[in-house]
Amino acid sequence: MDIKLRNISYSSGAKLLAIIIVWLGFLGTMGGCILWLDNRQAANASSYTETYSFQSTFSRTLYNTVEYYLAVPDEDNTENTAGDSASEDDNWPQVNPIDDRFPTMVNFVYYVRNTETGQWWSNLDAEETDPIGFIQKQPSTVFFNGRTSDGNIAIMEDIKGLITDRPYEVYAAVAEPLQPGDAFYDYYVDFNRSKVLSQTASTVSIISFFLMALAFIYLIYITLLRDPEEIKTQRPVRLYTDVHTLLVAIAAVLSLTIGVRTSMGIPDIVTFVFLAIVLSLDIFIGLFYVLSMAEQIKTGQIFTNSLIYKLGSVLKGFLRLAFQGKVFKVWMLILLGGYGFINGLLFILCEQSYYGFINGNFLFMVLLLIAFNAGVVYFIARSLVALPQIMEAVKEISAGNLDYPLDSAIIPVSLSAFAEDIHSLQGGLKKAVAIAVKGERMKTDLITNVSHDLKTPLTSIINYVDLLKKEKLENERAAEYVNVLEEKSDRLKQLIEDLVEASKASSGNLTITGEKVDLHELIMQACGEYEAKIQQAQLALHINTADETIAVRGDGRHMWRIAENLLSNVVKYSMPHTRVYIDIASDDGYGSFTIKNISAFPLNISPEQLTERFVRGDESRSTDGSGLGLSIAQSLTTLQGGEFQLEIDGDLFKVTTALPLWTEE
Amino acid sequence: MERLNVLICDDDTAIVDALEIYLKQEGYGVEKAYTGTQALQALSEHEIHLILLDIMMPELDGLSATIRIREDRNIPIIIISAKSEDTDKIAGLNFGADDYVTKPFNPLELMARVKSQMRRYTALGSIALKNGILKTGGLELDREGKEVRVDGEIIRLTPIEYGIVVFLMENMGHVFSIAQIYEQVWNEPSYAAENTVAVHIRRIREKIEINPREPKYLKVVWGIGYKIEKY
Repeated sequence: MDIKLRNISYSSGAKLLAIIIVWLGFLGTMGGCILWLDNRQAANASSYTETYSFQSTFSRTLYNTVEYYLAVPDEDNTENTAGDSASEDDNWPQVNPIDDRFPTMVNFVYYVRNTETGQWWSNLDAEETDPIGFIQKQPSTVFFNGRTSDGNIAIMEDIKGLITDRPYEVYAAVAEPLQPGDAFYDYYVDFNRSKVLSQTASTVSIISFFLMALAFIYLIYITLLRDPEEIKTQRPVRLYTDVHTLLVAIAAVLSLTIGVRTSMGIPDIVTFVFLAIVLSLDIFIGLFYVLSMAEQIKTGQIFTNSLIYKLGSVLKGFLRLAFQGKVFKVWMLILLGGYGFINGLLFILCEQSYYGFINGNFLFMVLLLIAFNAGVVYFIARSLVALPQIMEAVKEISAGNLDYPLDSAIIPVSLSAFAEDIHSLQGGLKKAVAIAVKGERMKTDLITNVSHDLKTPLTSIINYVDLLKKEKLENERAAEYVNVLEEKSDRLKQLIEDLVEASKASSGNLTITGEKVDLHELIMQACGEYEAKIQQAQLALHINTADETIAVRGDGRHMWRIAENLLSNVVKYSMPHTRVYIDIASDDGYGSFTIKNISAFPLNISPEQLTERFVRGDESRSTDGSGLGLSIAQSLTTLQGGEFQLEIDGDLFKVTTALPLWTEE
Repeated sequence: MERLNVLICDDDTAIVDALEIYLKQEGYGVEKAYTGTQALQALSEHEIHLILLDIMMPELDGLSATIRIREDRNIPIIIISAKSEDTDKIAGLNFGADDYVTKPFNPLELMARVKSQMRRYTALGSIALKNGILKTGGLELDREGKEVRVDGEIIRLTPIEYGIVVFLMENMGHVFSIAQIYEQVWNEPSYAAENTVAVHIRRIREKIEINPREPKYLKVVWGIGYKIEKY
C-alpha cells in the first residue's frame, strides 16, 4: 500500500498536475491581487459616499450651487434689498434655472436660507413640508453657516469662505434612492460593482494562493523523498547554484520592473495578457529554481556545486601546489608582484576619485584599499603565527621529544605541506628509536641470559681447578697447566661480568640515582683501595685538588666503577717508576677528575678505538683484563649526564671524566 | 661436638659434588638435593644446620623453597646463583635467605661464609654480652678487653685500625668522611691529599670481611665516606 502510494505520488502525471496548479495558482493570486489593488478604494470604503470621486463631485456641485445663489445676488444686493418675499419668484429667476445650470445632478438636493430675511432657495419639491429634515436624513448630508459646519461629507473650505460673516445657512445632500441620469448615480453603480469585484478578487487570490502553496509543498516534498543517487544520475550536470540564484534574481527584478511599468496605466486586456505571460515565465523560472535547489540540498551539492566553491577549491589546490616544492619561489614572486600591482591600482583609484577625475566614491575606494591590505596581512599573519609552532615542534623533536604534538588545525595552507613533512619525520624517527631501543634491550637480555648459562659451568671449572691444585700432582708440568687453567678461568669470569656490565651500560639498562658525590672523597677512597697495587706497580701517585669541596651529581657506585676501571688500567699499563697525576677541578658547571699516566707500551691505537672495542671487536685483545674497562667507564659517564674524554699524546695517556656539578634544589 | 650437616641443593651435579668435597674437608656432614622438592624432603628427613640453595632449579625454584623453609625453620640459608642482578639479591634476602653468593664463586670465600653462618647459628647467643661490648651482626667490639671479634674469632688490628673501628662502631650506621675520621682518630686537623684513612680502612676490611670487595660490615659510601652497617 505504501509502495503503491509512493508510486502514485511520484508519478509524472501528478507532478505535471502539481506544476499546472502552481502555475494557475500563481496567476490567480497575482491577478486577484492586481484586481483587488485596482478596486482597493471600494474595498476599503463601506459606502459609495466615502469614495473620493463621489466626495469631490459633491463638493464641486455644492460650491457651484452656493456661488450661484449667494455670490451673485450679493453683488446685486443694493437692488434687491427692497424686494419683498412675495416677489421672490419673480426677483430670483435663478431659482428655476437651476435645472438648466446642473442638468445632470438630478440626485443633488439643497436648501439655502437667509436667517435674517427668511429667504430660501431649494431644488426640492414644493410639497416637501420639511426640507431640512429630509436632507438631514440622507447619508451624504451637509450643513453649514457662517460659523459652524456639520455633516457626513468633508467639504472644501472655499465653500465656507463664500458665506463667512453672512447670515446664510446651507443644507445639501444626495437624495436616496438615486435616480439614473447623473454622475452620482454612476458612482453609486461603480462602487457596488467594484465592491463585488474586489471581494471576488481577494477570495480568488487567497484560494489560489493556498492551492499554489499546497502544490508547491507537495513538489518539494516528493523532491526531498527522492534517492540522491537517482537525482544525480538523472541530471548529472547543473547550473552552478550561485550563478542560478543570480540569474533568477535578475529575472525577478526585470519582471517586477516590467510589471510595475505596465500596470501603471488603466488596465486593459492587452496588459493583462502581457502580465500573465511575464508572470507565467516567472513562476516557471522560480519553480524550477526552487526544485533544483531542493534536489541539490538532497544530494548535498548545494554548496559544492557553486561557482564560488569551485573557484575556491581550484584556488586552494593551486595555492597548495604553488607552495609545494620547487614552484614555491616562482609563485612567491608572482604573488608579490600581484600584491604590488593590485595595491598600486587601488591607490591610483583612490587618488583619482579624491580629485574627482573619475566617477567614484573616495571613501569606498579607501575602504577597498584597506580591506585588501587587511586581507593580505591576515593571510601572512596566519602563516607567521603558525611558523613558531612548527619551529617549536622541530626544536622539541631535535631535543628528543618525539611525542610533541603539531596541531594541524592552525597550520595555514601555505605551510601545511611543510608541517606534514615534519609530522612524518616525527613518525619515522619515533619508529627508528623504538626499533633501536627494542634491539638494545634484546641484545642486553641475550647477553644476560647467555652469561647465566656460562656462569654455571664456569663455577664447576673454577671449583675443580681449585680442587686439582690441592691434589698432590707428581708431574711438575701438570701443576703449571693447572695454574694456567686457574688464571684463564678467572679471566673468563671477569670477561663475563664485564660483558654483562658493558652491555647494560651501553644500552642504558641500568638504574642511576642522582646523589651528591664528593669528587675528592671519591678519589681518596679509590686511591686507598688501589694503594697496594699502585705500590706494587712501582708508581708514584700525585693528587692535585683545586677545591676540596667539588661535588657532582652522580651515582656513587657507578662513579666508583669508573674510577676503579681507570685506576686498574693505570696499574696495568703504566711504565714502572713513573708518576701518575690525578687532577680534580671544576669548570663551566662540570666537576671533573683527570688521570694522567705514562704508558709502558707505545699506544698505536686511537682513543676512539680504545673506547669502542666492545662494539668493533676486531682489534687485538690485551692479555690482561677484558679490554672493556674504558668502554664501560665511558658508557657510565654518559649515562650520568657527563663527558668522558681520552687523549693520547705520545706515551702520555690522559682521561678526563666530567660530571654536572651538584646543585641544591 | 655433634656433627653439623649442610644441605647442598643445585641442579648441576658437578657443583654439588665439588661443594661436597669442600664441605667435608671442613668437617661438615653433607646431604645432597637436585631440586627444590628434594631439598624440602631432605630437610624433613635429616637434621640440617645450613642450606646452600641454587635459585634456578626444576620443579621448585630456590626462592619458593626459601619461602617454604622459612615457614617453620630458622636455619641459615645461603643462596648460590648465577643471577647477579641487584634485584635478584634483594629478592633473595627479602624472602628470608641469610646470604647471597653469585656464581662463579670462589670456593674458599663460600666456605668462609658457611663457617660464619654456622657459628652464628650454633652459638645461639651463648656468649653473654658483657658491658662495653658493641655488636652488629657477627662483628663485636669489646672496649674493655680492646678486642674485635668476627663470628667469635679475634681479629688482630693495629692501634690506628682499632681506633677507626671504635669510632665507627660507636656511631654505627652513620657515614663519616675521610677528613672527619682523620680528625677523630688522629686527633689533629686533616689536610689535603691524605689518603692514609682510605688505606687503613681497606686493610680493616681485608681483615674483618669475608669478601673485602663486597663488605658486609665496613661499607664504602662512594664519594661520601665510610660507615659500619647496623644489623
